[in-house]
Amino acid sequence: MKLGTEQSGLLGRVRNLAARRTEGRGLILLALVIIVVAILEPTAFTAYSVTLGRVALIGLVALGLTAVILMGELDLSVASTLAVSGVIMASIPDLGLGIVVALAAGILIGIVNAVFVVYVGINSFIATLGMLFALRGLAFVISDEKPVRLSNIDAGIAFGAPLIGPVTPRVLIFIVAFIALQVFLTRVRAGREFYAVGGNRQAAFDAGIPVRRRIFTGFMISGFVAALAGVINTLERTAADPTAGSSVLLASFAAAIIGGVVLTGGRGSVVGTLIGALSLGILQVALTLSGVQTDIQDIFIGSILLIAVITDPTQLRAAAASVRSFFQRREKAQIPT
Amino acid sequence: MADQTTTAAVPPRAASDEPGLAKGRFSLLVWMSERGVFLFTALLVVVAVVFVNGFASLANITDVFYRAAPIGIVAVGMTFVVISANYLDLSVVAQVATASVILVGVSNTAGFPAAIGLALVVALLYGVVNGLAVGVFKANAVIVTLSTTFIGLGILRWLSGGSIFFGPEDGPIRAFGQAKLGPIPLSALVLLVITAVLWFVLTRTNFGFLIRSFGSNKAATRLAGVNTALVVVGAFVITSLAAMLAGFVLAAFSNTAVSTMSDGYDFSALAAIIIGGTSVFGGKGSVLRTLLGVIFVSVLTNILVLLGIGFGLQQVAIGALIVLAVSVDALARRVGKK
Repeated sequence: MKLGTEQSGLLGRVRNLAARRTEGRGLILLALVIIVVAILEPTAFTAYSVTLGRVALIGLVALGLTAVILMGELDLSVASTLAVSGVIMASIPDLGLGIVVALAAGILIGIVNAVFVVYVGINSFIATLGMLFALRGLAFVISDEKPVRLSNIDAGIAFGAPLIGPVTPRVLIFIVAFIALQVFLTRVRAGREFYAVGGNRQAAFDAGIPVRRRIFTGFMISGFVAALAGVINTLERTAADPTAGSSVLLASFAAAIIGGVVLTGGRGSVVGTLIGALSLGILQVALTLSGVQTDIQDIFIGSILLIAVITDPTQLRAAAASVRSFFQRREKAQIPT
Repeated sequence: MADQTTTAAVPPRAASDEPGLAKGRFSLLVWMSERGVFLFTALLVVVAVVFVNGFASLANITDVFYRAAPIGIVAVGMTFVVISANYLDLSVVAQVATASVILVGVSNTAGFPAAIGLALVVALLYGVVNGLAVGVFKANAVIVTLSTTFIGLGILRWLSGGSIFFGPEDGPIRAFGQAKLGPIPLSALVLLVITAVLWFVLTRTNFGFLIRSFGSNKAATRLAGVNTALVVVGAFVITSLAAMLAGFVLAAFSNTAVSTMSDGYDFSALAAIIIGGTSVFGGKGSVLRTLLGVIFVSVLTNILVLLGIGFGLQQVAIGALIVLAVSVDALARRVGKK
């Protein structure tokens, strides 16, 4: 009896934890990916420096997205921000100045997005979609529609070299960004208020949270992080491609959403995003190593995103309700006849 | 009736007020969002005729029609998704490309009816998958159609090997693509017929009424006993069928098909819809406005090309126009609420 209550207490705690945490689906995918890859293509783990680099690329953009999605907004412009900042950086001859201007451009793009969302009142899906197209055009204009070579190629090559073991500067930056965002969202008051803004904006406003300033912060974070990813890409490839970023957009959205960041806001975690980025990074590298062409990789990542977005607990509940009301309507229709 | 979980699943939308309440200096804003497109399209055409060298030639106008037809067919179809307050369907890019590759590629080997049948099945598949994910699972339309775009284009490029398909020189596809009525190509007439049919569906049928009703107030429509999932699926299926026809028209225009030929169609179609005055907030808009928006975007693009302005700046200009048009709509809407 006593044992039983303890067990149910433990079960209850586990169930509580499962209900509170949002990383469940990400963990399932990660476990699946690790098992399948370990059996079919173990080289993805032995070549872990490549895998880590891929995870860092997907994860960095996904981290910025997480900050925005937590508030119930969305930043589709990250792909173009990545391209624009890379092109800006490569067209400025001085490396240091180029990096600073590129990062500033990312923050500026974030501010513009936030102005449209907060002050004009456009839905962030549409506002950032317009920015996605306009900035893609801007990247073409700045770069004259062809890849721009970095003038300081030595710096780029030095940047690609590992610092300690497999840790390249890219991976290091990703780890620092991950820790910084994790601390910001769980330990800093302004960051914790992101959850409140996403959970119930009106309640957050009534509780005295500066909702508008938080949304500005969120978009600035995602713009800055996307620009950072653009800078890193340009350094590693020693050239900036104006068409960069479209496949990153898909993978980073998939990472954030499968990691449990709920699109309506208020729920999710940076750890979940990391889990999502890990599973997608390992999957992509394993697919590339086993000679699967990029078209089929797109099918895989697209399917994961589609499954992720419809297997959210909220979405499943909505589907169950739809099915239930459908059958209820059928029953009611049959009663009078 | 509707239990608690269904009510919780969809947050109630604020009812859209009639913008006619606005007064004073804000009424210009409201007027711009309501009637602006008529004036601007007329102005643009006049400016083009008077100032742009080479615009007012028969060959150029025929060219504008040729380019406007497929984009226009996509846009009038996608208007249904936008009016039902589901933002947009990004996967039209994949749908148009798939339809044109199937039309040319499959009809070369398996004959014309097989190609059209297969294209129809694929289009219905797109519409139903997008519609079920958005309508039943209540998932976000932008994310859903982003993922189906990548899945669809991935499958298309994988199966077609990314190669270009050429239609036979004397085949029916080429004949259709070359057919003209005076300076107006047959494809532009197809656009007009589709617009007329969709206008009838949207304004004169029960289904069209439900689309508009769902777009302006989802919760109220559901509480009135409407099967809202079916309405959403219907909107996406109409978009898919229109995208399929656009793919046919596009393939016939050049008698070739390749998986990259519809790049940017999501963008142009959205621009036409929004500039035409259909609201991204849902519930408000019409296919005739979209047709006007198509004329505006096509003429503008043509002017930019004639003036020798590059692809990048064209994208910036039209992207800025989208944001501007949505801003005017959003501000006018807010003014109307006060």
